Amino acid sequence: MRIADLAYETVSALDANRGRSLLTVLGIVIGISAVIAMVSLIGGVKQSLVGQLGLSQARLVSISVYYGRDMTLDDVQAMGNELDADYDFVIPIVYGSSEVSSGTEKADGQCIGVYPEYAEAMNLNLVQGRFFSQKEADEGALAVVLDQNSVKLLFGKPDEQVVGKGIRVGSVEYTIVGVVETSSVSWGGDTVSFFVPYKTCTQRLNTWSQVDQVYGLAVEDSDMEAVAKRTENWLAKRFQIPDDEREDSIYVQTMQSIIDELNATMMSFQVLMTAVASISLVVGGIGIMNMMLTNVTERIREIGLRKALGARRRDITRQFLLESVCLTLAGGIIGIALGYVSAYALGGVAGGALGGEEGTAVVPVIDPQSVLLVAGICVAIGIAFGYYPARRAAKLDPVEALRYQ
Amino acid sequence: MSVPVIDIRNVHRIYESAAGYTHALRGITLRVERGEFLCIMGPSGSGKSTLMNLLGCLDTPTSGTYKLEGLDISTLDDDELAELRATRLGFVFQSFNLLPRATVLRNVILPLTYTDVPPAERRKRAEEALAAVGLPAGFFDHRSNELSGGQMQRVAIARALVNDPAVVLADEPTGNLDSATGQMVLRTFKRLSEEGKTVVLITHDPEVADWADRTVHIRDGRLLTDEQEQEILATGMRGRT
Repeated sequence: MRIADLAYETVSALDANRGRSLLTVLGIVIGISAVIAMVSLIGGVKQSLVGQLGLSQARLVSISVYYGRDMTLDDVQAMGNELDADYDFVIPIVYGSSEVSSGTEKADGQCIGVYPEYAEAMNLNLVQGRFFSQKEADEGALAVVLDQNSVKLLFGKPDEQVVGKGIRVGSVEYTIVGVVETSSVSWGGDTVSFFVPYKTCTQRLNTWSQVDQVYGLAVEDSDMEAVAKRTENWLAKRFQIPDDEREDSIYVQTMQSIIDELNATMMSFQVLMTAVASISLVVGGIGIMNMMLTNVTERIREIGLRKALGARRRDITRQFLLESVCLTLAGGIIGIALGYVSAYALGGVAGGALGGEEGTAVVPVIDPQSVLLVAGICVAIGIAFGYYPARRAAKLDPVEALRYQ
Repeated sequence: MSVPVIDIRNVHRIYESAAGYTHALRGITLRVERGEFLCIMGPSGSGKSTLMNLLGCLDTPTSGTYKLEGLDISTLDDDELAELRATRLGFVFQSFNLLPRATVLRNVILPLTYTDVPPAERRKRAEEALAAVGLPAGFFDHRSNELSGGQMQRVAIARALVNDPAVVLADEPTGNLDSATGQMVLRTFKRLSEEGKTVVLITHDPEVADWADRTVHIRDGRLLTDEQEQEILATGMRGRT
């Protein structure tokens, strides 16, 4: 029998049993949607956590060390020079805080002192103006870059044109040179987040230390693991950290290392969910087998007729097998859609549970690989649970089958 | 002399079941020539259905030989028998056995889906077969459960003809039809045999047998001799008067 003929037979058989097929497939739908909801939610959680940690791109390395003392600007500069084969640049940031006012509005402000390269490292999206120039950085200029949320807090509307306007930080007047999109780097909420040149921040605003955080942007096409390793070695040497204390003193994280860590954390959760989903899929598969056995019994005369008209055993086997595979695959497709939708619904809840701000729902992330895997699982279930009924149909004796009432 | 379409020699068929052995056929020898319209008559339990299943390659003899167009079927495996049914045999059943939800055309095409006939040619052959049994083209796209009994049986005959078989086997084809419709179906078989098709028809109805070129009688798994036939015919006459 040709594929087209098989497809025709399958469609007409399933069409004849629409209601029953739909109910039978429900078990598969539930199992698959659970798997998809879980996988896409975990994907979303990973992405949002990676975003919150500031590691928004693959080449970025987050570096911190404490062994007797914090990192200093000298350390950072030395690192940039000595590891220049690994890094395009290594930059420090410092955090400060101060009250901010635009003349009409007043708010608490959190300030990040950065180098001009920071915009590239963090993939900041400028919506107005520009980021700091090298000159401003060198001079410690009174320039400020706001995020959109802060523009809204200070000027009423997030898209207000504010470049060139002044704001007071503490008692000093600063000029706004640019506005960036609100991102996971920002504090959000009622706090004004703004960037100033690193030098300005350390000289004029209250900072707790010289270097709060260090970022390195690895050169393109680096082996990130090797870069991280060399960075650790360099730091260990510079801070004279003995081998057995390295793990507690040095934190060098790449996006990959964070994803690996998250994967390890999510593992037990994933195993549990997979177990629940597997049970549901097996139950669904048994439902499919039950329906296919009923199908075969109901169509014994038809099977006898087909055999009399020249159908071979394998023609009959394929016909019934394709029916069950189509059922499970359809269940899988419905399940994928349903799972994704419910992941969106659950995303809001999960976002709140993770302590995110209002409106920071976890956006589910689904990758084509898991969709393909799920489709493969569905086909496998269809074959596994459809094979016995199909063989039973194929083995029927045509004489007996034609006589069956 | 040409090879007979059906050549059965000393065929026995014994069924084995929990209740013991059933000797359904006890040494049947039968030859059917090309273009012949043969009727096999016998009461129920005489073994005529068993013989029909053997002729249709749905079953194989316990002993003896069956050659279809010179090919010894006892040497064939399941798949080869299926192929033979798909290409060389046509079946017509008492209860039509159409797929009720499928269209007339789809029902007639069904046997061809188990052959190598390319999809492009199937429709043409189905339409020819339907024309040969005199079903108007207006019915081709009707679902078969919308047809009358006579129309259904004509569709079934078209389905039996569509693969251009060596033999059309009909098992009580008029059993579920009123006599006028039955006559029409029998006329179709008669015409097919006149056009050179070999037809083997099974019945217990002597009036149906009248349409055939030749009738053989089967009793208790044996074909009757001519003298025995005369005797039966005579008894039948007496019974009717």
